[in-house]
Amino acid sequence: MLTSLHTYRRLISIKIRGQMQYRTAFLFDVLATAFITIVEFGSLALIFQRFENIGGWTLAEVAFLYGIIAVSFGTMDMLFSGFDPQFFGQQVRRGTFDQLLLRPVDITVQVLGSEFIMRRLGRIFQGIAIFIFALIMLEIQWTAGKILYLPAVYISQVLFFGGLFIIGATISFWTVESLEVVNIFTYGGNEMMSYPMHIYPKWMVRFFTFIIPAIFLNYYPALYFLDKPDPFNLPPIAHFLAPIAGLIVIFVALAFWRFGIRHYQSAGT
Amino acid sequence: MRLFLELSKISFQRQITYRAATLAGLATNFFFGLLRIAVLVALYNEQNEVAGLTMTDAITFTALSQASIAYLSMFRWFEVMNSVYTGDIASDLLKPMNYFTHWLGRDWGRAIANLLMRGVTIMAVYALVFEITVPQSAVQWLAVVVTLVLSWLVSFSWRFLVNLTAFWTPNALGIIRFAFILSWFMSGFLMPLRFFPDWFITLCYLTPFPYTVNAIIEVYLGIVSGPEVLYLMLGQITWILILVLAGQLALRAGIRHLVIQGG
Repeated sequence: MLTSLHTYRRLISIKIRGQMQYRTAFLFDVLATAFITIVEFGSLALIFQRFENIGGWTLAEVAFLYGIIAVSFGTMDMLFSGFDPQFFGQQVRRGTFDQLLLRPVDITVQVLGSEFIMRRLGRIFQGIAIFIFALIMLEIQWTAGKILYLPAVYISQVLFFGGLFIIGATISFWTVESLEVVNIFTYGGNEMMSYPMHIYPKWMVRFFTFIIPAIFLNYYPALYFLDKPDPFNLPPIAHFLAPIAGLIVIFVALAFWRFGIRHYQSAGT
Repeated sequence: MRLFLELSKISFQRQITYRAATLAGLATNFFFGLLRIAVLVALYNEQNEVAGLTMTDAITFTALSQASIAYLSMFRWFEVMNSVYTGDIASDLLKPMNYFTHWLGRDWGRAIANLLMRGVTIMAVYALVFEITVPQSAVQWLAVVVTLVLSWLVSFSWRFLVNLTAFWTPNALGIIRFAFILSWFMSGFLMPLRFFPDWFITLCYLTPFPYTVNAIIEVYLGIVSGPEVLYLMLGQITWILILVLAGQLALRAGIRHLVIQGG
């Protein structure tokens, strides 16, 4: 375990140093990434003057969801860059993944350490800014429970999105081609979870409740933080399922990943 | 001209070979469209019309914006940048054809393949699932086709121009990405431009971006009609001329600057 951690640290530090070589380019990359979130949220904010609310939620309430999701997705996207289905699919196709398998170090650690995209910091900073905007605009009744639950929700979301990345990466063992469809669950999940989930069609809400438990990671915790009523009338425990949902997803993903590795046949390149 | 068409044909054929990727892309565009529609429906909240767009228009907007992604290569296009970095540009510059026209030909083939395979399919699928707006007359259809072509020309000439930054920096990726993200915002791709405050719309019209996606949307939905359409097309043509000229000047300056590494 300790050696794994050590290896991981060394692998990551190489990646980081590499990206810091071209400082201006790096800065531009971070800015461009932050810009995505500004632009997406900005376009929503700018049109809000023409509409009163979105499914009964104010702009500040949506910002609460939007901010926290951007921060956790950005964190995950940085930590799990090695599992990014697009990047990982390329590793499988080129046979670089086979090289990793030959080394006497835990494969999961190596894949985690195989990439670390620093420019994702842009999304994290921007998410924090939107979240702070929400905190200023909303008068949240903070309790000890809420203060403790907030970091737990954040970590759970990181694990949840990380799990989706791992599942997407594992699929490329079989498809070899990195499939754009996986984006539906990762980036689509991210986009979807940035808005109050009750605005989506019923089948979609059901899918993202029972098949992929996304709803427990953003919507229900937000109902709790913002003291909003639950339109779906689930038992109150639903507000607190984020850690369980996050852990389930990451465990299922890791089990699938191990299964994938056992059945992996090289692309032959 | 023959060379141009030949290049288009080759890149058209290359595009249509990736059938699985096309299918995957379609599914993704469709799903993201559904999310966008849910947001718009929730925003409309039973209002009939907002800023001149009915709910049906707003849904059609989503379909059109998703259908334009592949046609106008809205998410990424780094081809010229890559050819500068790999040095492939050297052999392309030797060809008896302007470098701009060379890429224009290749992009035309790519665009047409994507318009047919992804654009038309997305519109058809949305027409099946939702009630969408359809142009009312042959004249309007003709205007749509002309705007589509002009939009592509505006789109290509600015994509080409920003890619040329590769001549001056070893890592132009960040700058080009920046330009692309700006285009999502200001072209009316993320939200119909008409929803924005007036000062912001004015700001957008100082850039070429509204003359891409937003032009297609407004002509298709019939929000602009009669002489306004011609006025819009004139705007498109003006921007094409400006951007092509800027591209040629930047290209000339860049080539003088360019050093091809041997080996």
